[in-house]
Amino acid sequence: MRQIIGRLVVWAGCGLALGQAPVRAEAPGLLAIQDARIVTVSGGVIEKGTVVVRDGIIAEVGAAAAVPKGAWVVDGKGLTVYPGLIDGLSTWGIPQAAAAAPAAAGRGGGAPVGGPGGSPAAAPRSWGPQDRPGTTSWVKAADLVKLEDRRIETARGAGFTTAVTFPKQGLVAGHGAVVNLGGETSGRMIVDPGAGLYLSMTPSGYTGYPSSPMGILAYFRQLWIDAGYYRLAKAMYAQNPANVKRPDYDRALEGVLEAKRVLLPAASPVALERILKLASDLKAPFVVYGVVQGYAMADRLKQAGTPVVLNVKWPTRERDADPEREESLRTLEIRDKAPASPAALAAAGVKFAVSSDGIDAPKDVIRALKKSIDLGLKKEDALKALTLNAAEIYGLAGKLGSIDKGKIANLVVTDGDLFDDKTKVKMVFVDGVKFLPPPEAPQTGPGGVSGRPSMAAGEEN
Amino acid sequence: MKRIVISIAVLAAPLLAAENATFLIRNATVHPVSAPKMENASVLVVGGKIADVGAKLAVKGKVRVIEGKGLHVYPGMIDSGSPIGLSEISSVRETVDTGELGDFNPQLRAIVAVNPESEAIPVTRANGITAVMATPGAIGGRGSGGGIISGQMSLMNLNGWTWEEMEIRPGAALQMTWPVIVSGGGRMGSARMGARQTTFAEAKRNQEQRVQKLREFFEEARRYQAAKAAGAAGFQPDLKFEAMLPVLAGKLPVMVFAAREREIREAVAWAEKERVKLVLAGVRRPGQMTAEIAKKKIPVILGSTFATPLEEDDPYDEPFALPGLLVKAGVKVAFASFGTQFARNLPYEASQAVPFGLPYDEALKSVTLNAAEIWGVADRYGSVEKGKVADLIVTDGDPLEIQTQIKFMYIRGEQVDLESKHTRLYKKYLARP
Repeated sequence: MRQIIGRLVVWAGCGLALGQAPVRAEAPGLLAIQDARIVTVSGGVIEKGTVVVRDGIIAEVGAAAAVPKGAWVVDGKGLTVYPGLIDGLSTWGIPQAAAAAPAAAGRGGGAPVGGPGGSPAAAPRSWGPQDRPGTTSWVKAADLVKLEDRRIETARGAGFTTAVTFPKQGLVAGHGAVVNLGGETSGRMIVDPGAGLYLSMTPSGYTGYPSSPMGILAYFRQLWIDAGYYRLAKAMYAQNPANVKRPDYDRALEGVLEAKRVLLPAASPVALERILKLASDLKAPFVVYGVVQGYAMADRLKQAGTPVVLNVKWPTRERDADPEREESLRTLEIRDKAPASPAALAAAGVKFAVSSDGIDAPKDVIRALKKSIDLGLKKEDALKALTLNAAEIYGLAGKLGSIDKGKIANLVVTDGDLFDDKTKVKMVFVDGVKFLPPPEAPQTGPGGVSGRPSMAAGEEN
Repeated sequence: MKRIVISIAVLAAPLLAAENATFLIRNATVHPVSAPKMENASVLVVGGKIADVGAKLAVKGKVRVIEGKGLHVYPGMIDSGSPIGLSEISSVRETVDTGELGDFNPQLRAIVAVNPESEAIPVTRANGITAVMATPGAIGGRGSGGGIISGQMSLMNLNGWTWEEMEIRPGAALQMTWPVIVSGGGRMGSARMGARQTTFAEAKRNQEQRVQKLREFFEEARRYQAAKAAGAAGFQPDLKFEAMLPVLAGKLPVMVFAAREREIREAVAWAEKERVKLVLAGVRRPGQMTAEIAKKKIPVILGSTFATPLEEDDPYDEPFALPGLLVKAGVKVAFASFGTQFARNLPYEASQAVPFGLPYDEALKSVTLNAAEIWGVADRYGSVEKGKVADLIVTDGDPLEIQTQIKFMYIRGEQVDLESKHTRLYKKYLARP
């Protein structure tokens, strides 16, 4: 107890010193949101009901759910409760500098490649697949997530409680993590450290081979063949260490073998075809991301039975474009039709989540979907894309994505329809801990968490 | 008669084979270009010049006769821009003499760098081309170097032991490239690692700076001109500015590469302000400027029609249709190969545009008389007319048709060998056991 008081004093001191108090979020073990409109996503809408949260888990939900004794009660009159929104492919939580992880490749735990005295920025030269170009499959987003990333707070303010965050540097960037956007430590934020291995078709982090789509695809195939061989070699050695040569440890291949699923990029129908072929060669479960021309890919995606993470940064004309440059019909068509992609995917029955990729303000993810709703996307489908679909795609349907008994208490409480621009997020619960959205014009102190994870229940309300 | 003999003797002095430069082609179909074709006509060449053209020519004395039955006589064709003789193999740097470093090199004359032994010269001749505007600079931003003012283009014929013998006008025009705003970082989807994206604002600023440099160079040249005219004390001759004097006087045309509407608009406005004689080159998308170019009587040198459309959504025949569109708007056009190994395709560049709207007569003119007019030598070249230099081709048909064979070629009345590397290789492999 004395310890706690001591810490409070320290916190208060910090608050005074910084002019804003990063008050520690502390969940009341038991809380209930009463008389609210509850959009469960999985089981329709409860016009007037109660959600009970116990120790960060949804304990009860329903029109007739009883408020347990001793529960801290939130009056939900006039409010709507949604499951917390999920960014299906994100970098939230990985501070920008850390996102550009060292892309030094090489087998084993080798030191970063680079000439003596060479600048650390110089990308290593790759001569072939043996150099493991742009491969950091041992990197885990779960290890890079930091509570200090200030985007966490703005995302929460827009209603996001979870992000599937990936390292993105290189061809085989590393493993994504499903991250809850709140918690005292980065360790507590992680829901699943193995969301999938992120593959990219954009060369970065090396020079030389491969520099063409042909070369990149061949490299991926070789990497998976090598990983298969590595697994066999290890198994043989484990069975018979006396007679078999001990295989070299290879962290790049370890990372590949660890992958539960692979994320593969396909912006266009043509890219999709080659990705589907690649996926069948890799024999790995996969998710297609970076989809831009979803309107033209829906049937093929349905046929392939592939889940999708859709880009909702709808293409626009560059702000600094040459005014006399005529844009091609192809460009204009993509720009015109891209926002209709969600409706097309939903109509075809393709399971899709959405990504904040390329979007700075998290609220714009919801605005982008609003545009698609205006173009024929059903609101329920839009909401699913932001919640349950993402949970299902990453194999977390038992924990996230809807307001159901037993799921993690990630909730958004709004004063109206989520897709109405006038609607305000009143509060957000992450793992049962309540956060208030940051003020309208968010302060962004240097490197700091702005706004405050409200706790101190009584004081704020 | 005595006078003729004397004049022949005078002409014979510089021309080693002047005695051969006197002959009569008879019973041929003559296409003067400047006038309708004449069946069963003759062309009399005396001392390298066309002495007469007509149905029945009175010939005095003994003259070599070339029987022209079934053959056609045309003026030799003129390629209005080619680095021929300066660039042998474009991808072998050691053989390329174009594109001197620096932004302003008006003092450079292309012809002094021409190699008369270039393999490309006989190859080009074989298709009926007798004269070329040699270009000192890289063409339209292709290749490296060349700057803004690349140097003086030289009109030369394609026959001679030395470049001096090939000379027609060593300084026939100034070659210039209008600075272009290049923004963005390559086409969609082709972005490579490390490719730097240039914003439009940044690219525009760079371009404006280059145009400003050009204006300053002209201003300096004007100061030089004034100082020279005034005989100012301490006046020091400078080759760069010396070369600019005929440009400032409006005597030497400036051929400016400008492909798109914006560059054309800027180049036209600039030329008007500087009062220089403008010839546009490499025009591809003139847009609204077409009427303006026609109104201001600015001639246009077109590059090869064997090109893909400039923009993704342009119709497939955009390069084929452009010459016809310009001509119909009233623009005088001439063709250039802007290349070495494909200079031989000059006649087909023109004929390719004919089914797409270029009137046939204009197509023929665009590789003969129009070029001579644009480069200021129409009094001597470009047509089969009395008094002009005898640069002639004798063919078995229309020289704009690919199947047509050039039977004889005369440059300054001298018969020129039509053998080339192509015919040598043809014979070599024909004789292969």
